[in-house]
Amino acid sequence: MNRTQENSSVITADALPASSGAAPVITHEDLERAEDRSKVAAARAQTGLSSRFRLLWLLIGPGILVMLGENDGPSMLSYAATGAHYGVGFFIPFIILTFAMAIVVQEMTVRLGAATHRGHAELIFSRFGPFWGWFSMIDLAFGNFLTLIAEFIAIRAGLSYFGVPPWVAIPGAVLVLFLALLSHRYWTWERLTLAFAAVNLVFVPLALLAHPDWNAVGRSLVTWGPLPGGMTSAALLLILSNTGATVTPWMVFFQQSATVDKGLTRRDVRFGRIDTFLGAALAAGAAVGMVLLTSPLMKLHMSVENFQAAEFAKALQPVIGRSGAALFSLGMIEAGIVAAITISASTAYAFGEVARKPHSLNLRMKEGRSFYAVLCFCVIAAAAVVLIPGLPLVYVVLMVNVVAVVAMPPALLFLYMLANDREIMGDMVSPRWVNVLAGSVVILLIGAGLLFGVSVLAPNVFASWVQP
Amino acid sequence: MAGTGLTINRPGASNSGILSSLEPDQLTGAKRERLPRRRLKNSEVLLLWGVRVYLLVMMGVVVYQLWTGSR
Repeated sequence: MNRTQENSSVITADALPASSGAAPVITHEDLERAEDRSKVAAARAQTGLSSRFRLLWLLIGPGILVMLGENDGPSMLSYAATGAHYGVGFFIPFIILTFAMAIVVQEMTVRLGAATHRGHAELIFSRFGPFWGWFSMIDLAFGNFLTLIAEFIAIRAGLSYFGVPPWVAIPGAVLVLFLALLSHRYWTWERLTLAFAAVNLVFVPLALLAHPDWNAVGRSLVTWGPLPGGMTSAALLLILSNTGATVTPWMVFFQQSATVDKGLTRRDVRFGRIDTFLGAALAAGAAVGMVLLTSPLMKLHMSVENFQAAEFAKALQPVIGRSGAALFSLGMIEAGIVAAITISASTAYAFGEVARKPHSLNLRMKEGRSFYAVLCFCVIAAAAVVLIPGLPLVYVVLMVNVVAVVAMPPALLFLYMLANDREIMGDMVSPRWVNVLAGSVVILLIGAGLLFGVSVLAPNVFASWVQP
Repeated sequence: MAGTGLTINRPGASNSGILSSLEPDQLTGAKRERLPRRRLKNSEVLLLWGVRVYLLVMMGVVVYQLWTGSR
């Protein structure tokens, strides 16, 4: 909802059914958010460099969390396998490009949340109707559930390096996830999760321990090469899967909902953009660090396709030592935990927005029963699945990619249309150059995702397309 | 909003501090009403029907692959 009065085509509060005219009802959620916003106002009122840094500190969060959350267990394993297979070369600038594309997409969610103060699922429901609202939420919830299973698989694999059995690892991880919720304060939840997410950067110093060839790194950034073996179907598949996975539906829903829950306004959009850019830069650094870290394994010609975290850690021991291998495993555990925290939150937000239930991390348990129930149910159910003996978990991970491919085109299209919805965005609607850029990225991501989906679902068809 | 159970209605000056920190449409009470439906252009209606067809086709393909994979 836009409050710009000079634009008569913008929907304002006056256009909605009239309230009774009584004083506004203030909830505890409002009180908590107002307390956070008063700190922002106080920082904004001061001058000087330190106050600018304090303002930045207060306003960053959703962008960094979504980008570092995207460096989840399966993604970090994919980067590790990329480094072990292809070494220092093509995939380094390619990974940086994918995060640049993610910035373009995620920036739209910042503007949407700050301009409308409504979550993504709620906007889809309101503007496009109940069918698309419920579809988007259910689709997101299903995809998120499968992804949560993959995250717990990664956590289990990481803890197995330390000899922790699954029946201890999984409940322990669930406990850590729930600890973050105990404060019933968005600010505290966000800072705790950011602290966890900072561990993702451990792959940067670990990469330094691997003594990468910096000349080769520099050459790869300029020449986008080498690509060992050339553009094989395997390399093309990896490019397609990484491109298609650049932005996943939960990222779009989470960052907008978190922007709203944090209370960002139109004045804060610039900091929201900085937050998104900073998150992408940190995540790209961790991802490139992982590729550099595992690139020495390329010379060993190891078959790493089925490697989990523990196998990579053991393979890397000769390169980075036992302490380094232990840190590697901790980084993989963190990747799973942070992703699980943010993904489960995105499901709970979307449910509340569509079902018209309270949905905020500022809510106390009795105020947000359905919100916390959905969040806890997702986590516990996914954790329980991982503990089922004999379950084909590799199949589950494959299904995650397939569901993401199916869900991504509608999610990106709705995002693009909403960001250009002048009635709700007012003067924050996407300018033409952003539309060209965002539209190109959206088309590229949808195309890559669809091609990857064809390769998974109809490999013979895909092979006939790529073979000369 | 339904389900909170704990709302504080404090008319008067005591709200001013809270209200000054938040924009009016940030209040949970202000979000009780949904935004109105968007008036779609013909091209947008066509696009959304295309998405429906895409989803039907992809769901069919996925189910088929799951069925053949399990056999």
